[in-house]
Amino acid sequence: MIRVDNISKSFDKNDVLIGISAEFAEARTNLVIGQSGSGKTVLLKCLIGMIEPDSGDIWYGEDSFTALHPDQQRTFRQQMGVVFQGGALFDSMTVEQNIRLPMDFFTDWDRERKLDRVNFCLGRVQLPGSNKLLPAELSGGMKKRVAIARAIALNPKYLFCDEPNSGLDPQTAIVIDKLIHEITLEFKMTTVINTHDMNSVMEIGDNILFLSEGRKCWEGPREEILRSDNKVLNDFVFASELMKKIK
Amino acid sequence: MGVLSNLGKYLIFVTKIFSKPEKHSIYFRQVFREIDKLGVSSIGIVAIISFFIGMVVIIHMTFNLGNPLIPIYYMAYITREVLILEFSSTVLCLILAGKIGSNISSEIGTMRVTEQIDALETMGINSAAYLVLPKMIGMVIVTPVLVLLSIFIGLVGGWAVSLMGHLMTGADYIQGIRHGFDSYLVLYTVIKSAIFAFLITSISAYYGYYSKGGALDVGRSSTLAVSYSMIMILVSNYLITQIMLG
Repeated sequence: MIRVDNISKSFDKNDVLIGISAEFAEARTNLVIGQSGSGKTVLLKCLIGMIEPDSGDIWYGEDSFTALHPDQQRTFRQQMGVVFQGGALFDSMTVEQNIRLPMDFFTDWDRERKLDRVNFCLGRVQLPGSNKLLPAELSGGMKKRVAIARAIALNPKYLFCDEPNSGLDPQTAIVIDKLIHEITLEFKMTTVINTHDMNSVMEIGDNILFLSEGRKCWEGPREEILRSDNKVLNDFVFASELMKKIK
Repeated sequence: MGVLSNLGKYLIFVTKIFSKPEKHSIYFRQVFREIDKLGVSSIGIVAIISFFIGMVVIIHMTFNLGNPLIPIYYMAYITREVLILEFSSTVLCLILAGKIGSNISSEIGTMRVTEQIDALETMGINSAAYLVLPKMIGMVIVTPVLVLLSIFIGLVGGWAVSLMGHLMTGADYIQGIRHGFDSYLVLYTVIKSAIFAFLITSISAYYGYYSKGGALDVGRSSTLAVSYSMIMILVSNYLITQIMLG
């Protein structure tokens, strides 16, 4: 479980996060939703230690992440897998080398064992046999899947995804969403996903945190999101004609 | 204030590069790749430039200093001194700052804006050390070799034009380039080029590493990297020369 206690962050006197407190449960798909500029990405970057919050604490189980020295935070991050918005695959490396990189750094496995693990991860994201392809040869959806395979290479306890289905067609977006959800359950990871896609919310959101202008506006399971009387949340959720009809 | 803040950030960056590597074997392999990518790929351009500069310098010397009172082999002697003392180290490193510096800065800058550096950090890898240390070690090893090669090829260029242009005999040329040879000057040029290599790599990597925004910003970082590398080469050239020869 990840717990966020009253964290705030501002850039040049511009408050981006204001006193956010939340809990992200284990073996659940936790979604952080909100409009562009609501502070989702900054919150995610605080969670993974890429941005230091001005105040507040972040707890991973019983360990205070914010109390760790940056070098200790880097070591701690070996327990995390992160899927970036654009995939962030290393251009000069093949798919296999991309997935193998964390193993090369942090394991003493022999070549065969690493290859077995690469093939397992590629199989898990339904891309078997794509070992020798370069990122430039992959479609957007394939890049996201390779990024997921790389993120789970060392069997992390925590998985973070920043808008994993942005820029994808609706069908591929659902495939990616379901894949992350299945992996979360299979490996019992604590997964946190940033999104503003209501399809993702309805498909895989076990627990939802809604941010607006840097503040927590609502938190709860997806079953309740359509019944909430929170006006800001309703404006966001029912922004599209389709959702209005569903309502 | 801006200069001091930049200098402080640069020093912190260099400290980060030299922090303990996670796994030496990975870095070791990368060093050889970088020697090939940055150094071996520059041999062609170094050879062409040095050959032609060697040719031009001996023509200049003969044209400007040619005098019955000055022995003809002095033209070759001065050509050798020009190549060893300044051209093959300083001028060549200024050229390498443009070629390799922009390459390093744009490569790392692109990795920054496409979140590849963030991806390395989130894996728990020291991105500055992983991306820059092998380049730095590779460049510090290969640049003095390129400089020595440049001196040799420049001298060959001078010899070729001396014979083709009937400026002097081959024997005169050989006598000139052997005249008053001091190996300390070669040591001076090797040390100087190794320091220049360090400056090119660290400054270019620094500007790339802290790129923000998109393609335009990467281009801007690349320009700044080359400009500051060149300025620092010229400043350090003066300081090293003052210390070693002054």
